Amino acid sequence: MTSRRPAPLPRLTVLALAVVPAMGYRANAAEVDLYGATVSLNGFGTLGVVHSSNDKADFTATEFEPNGAGSSRSWSASVDSLIGAQLAATLTPKLSAVVQLIAQQNYDDTYWPHVEWANIKYQVTPDFDLRAGRVVMPTFLASDSRNVGYGHPWVRQPTELYSLNPITTLDGADTAYRLHPGPVTNTLQAAYGRNLSFRFPAENTVDARYAWGVFDSVEYGAALLRLGYLDSTIRLNSGAALFNALRQFGPQGSAIAANYQVVDKPITIETLGASYDPGHWFAMGEWLRSRSESFLGVSTGWYIGGGYRMGAFTPFLMHSQVTERISSSPGLSASSLPADLAPAVAALNAGLNALLASRPIQFSSTVGVRWDFIKDVDLKLQWDRLDLGAGSAGTLSNVQPGFQPGSRLYLLSAAVDFVF
Amino acid sequence: MNPIGRPAWVLIALMLSLAGGVANADVVAVVSAKSPIVALSKSQLADIFLGKTDRFPDGSQAVAIDQAEGSAARDEFYDKVAGKSAAQIKAFWSKIIFTGRGQPPPTVANATELRNRIRANPSVIGYLDRGMVDDSVRVVF
Repeated sequence: MTSRRPAPLPRLTVLALAVVPAMGYRANAAEVDLYGATVSLNGFGTLGVVHSSNDKADFTATEFEPNGAGSSRSWSASVDSLIGAQLAATLTPKLSAVVQLIAQQNYDDTYWPHVEWANIKYQVTPDFDLRAGRVVMPTFLASDSRNVGYGHPWVRQPTELYSLNPITTLDGADTAYRLHPGPVTNTLQAAYGRNLSFRFPAENTVDARYAWGVFDSVEYGAALLRLGYLDSTIRLNSGAALFNALRQFGPQGSAIAANYQVVDKPITIETLGASYDPGHWFAMGEWLRSRSESFLGVSTGWYIGGGYRMGAFTPFLMHSQVTERISSSPGLSASSLPADLAPAVAALNAGLNALLASRPIQFSSTVGVRWDFIKDVDLKLQWDRLDLGAGSAGTLSNVQPGFQPGSRLYLLSAAVDFVF
Repeated sequence: MNPIGRPAWVLIALMLSLAGGVANADVVAVVSAKSPIVALSKSQLADIFLGKTDRFPDGSQAVAIDQAEGSAARDEFYDKVAGKSAAQIKAFWSKIIFTGRGQPPPTVANATELRNRIRANPSVIGYLDRGMVDDSVRVVF
């Protein structure tokens, strides 16, 4: 579901810079009683900078960022920096509500916060809950906490895998049901809802008209295994001009557009994740396959990573990749069309095949260290080597003239994460 | 060759030479002497204190209470039952809190208050230095 962004509009990440020194490192969340309801405020944030060795394209951490490290600027503070606040209210022993706001770089280069979550939870039993409102789209192992850098060893979730579903929330409902067979904890989750592009620019919308998913997690001691299936109906603005032009060529053009354009097309995602964290070391991995009968085709991503904890230091390693089954199309047949249209037909066919080949293929190797240097604050340094697939720009954006597809680049990242 | 290729490896080598040690006193998990619970395993304790269950193995309600953040007993307890440092526990809960699906156990100011809470409620489970154990509470791990 990758979509390219409009031209860059450079500006500094001032928000996170302004907030961190004022906050210092306070101990605990504020918690107050209001007319019998317990209200707590928690927050999290990351202040990070990234340097890319390639100055002909931008590296970004998410689909929402209009620019990043590379062609827009050599060192970027917008890629990883964000701040979030969560207000939770326990209204009765069974009823609670959560609102989470996050301020990070938006597609229009502002830092206005958006409502990531806003839901009401009814705890039917201690092991069974129902939520309604804006809830998480639980595609990945770390979907619930992907913005909380302090909760993770690396600077950011692997972009190769996590870019396969840029939609992070659903307006709808979800439920979790927990079972305890013997020493095992099994949690079955289901979610249903829709996401009408509230964080994408109008010219580049990604709408999930509706989505539903079922996820099962099995925990046994330090081991976790998670399986998931997600089915959504997607509408993308990506490639609209090309498909509109194809439709001008009668039934054969319309058939091609219907075949490849992502207008209310189903996308199915199958996912498998596992982690093992006995304390002094940890390992985790995730695999995901996304399938769609459209130009998006079939994408497969996975990563495997781990680290070893030595006092306050946690060095880590990771490999991550995304690959795509690239298809091609013969496109319009010029034989049945007037001869003077041949150049236009050739251009459209080339455009169609360029779109089919534009899917990201990228392999990355990561090494870094996390240092828990004071309470509730960590410092991370990370080095990535990105190899782009032949002919591919990978997950990079803002590609400039002179960019070489299929090249290798390096990233150097530093980040401070905090919770309060 | 890219100039940022090398320093990362030097840094990792440096980190590998800086491993830290953990001191060990004797911290035990306790319930009220009135509780029917006699013994718990390390993994059962970890599940209760990490919010994976709110039940004892017999099905009765379990209410975990923590000592204050930064206390030696707390750090040692989590190191013992979950193999996790204070920072790891904080990172673990920061993930759960921001899902909106859980909160860490409530904390008390000191060990004496914790012992009072355990005495008063057979559902409560906590941890104390062995020297704090008396007839009103039972060691279960």
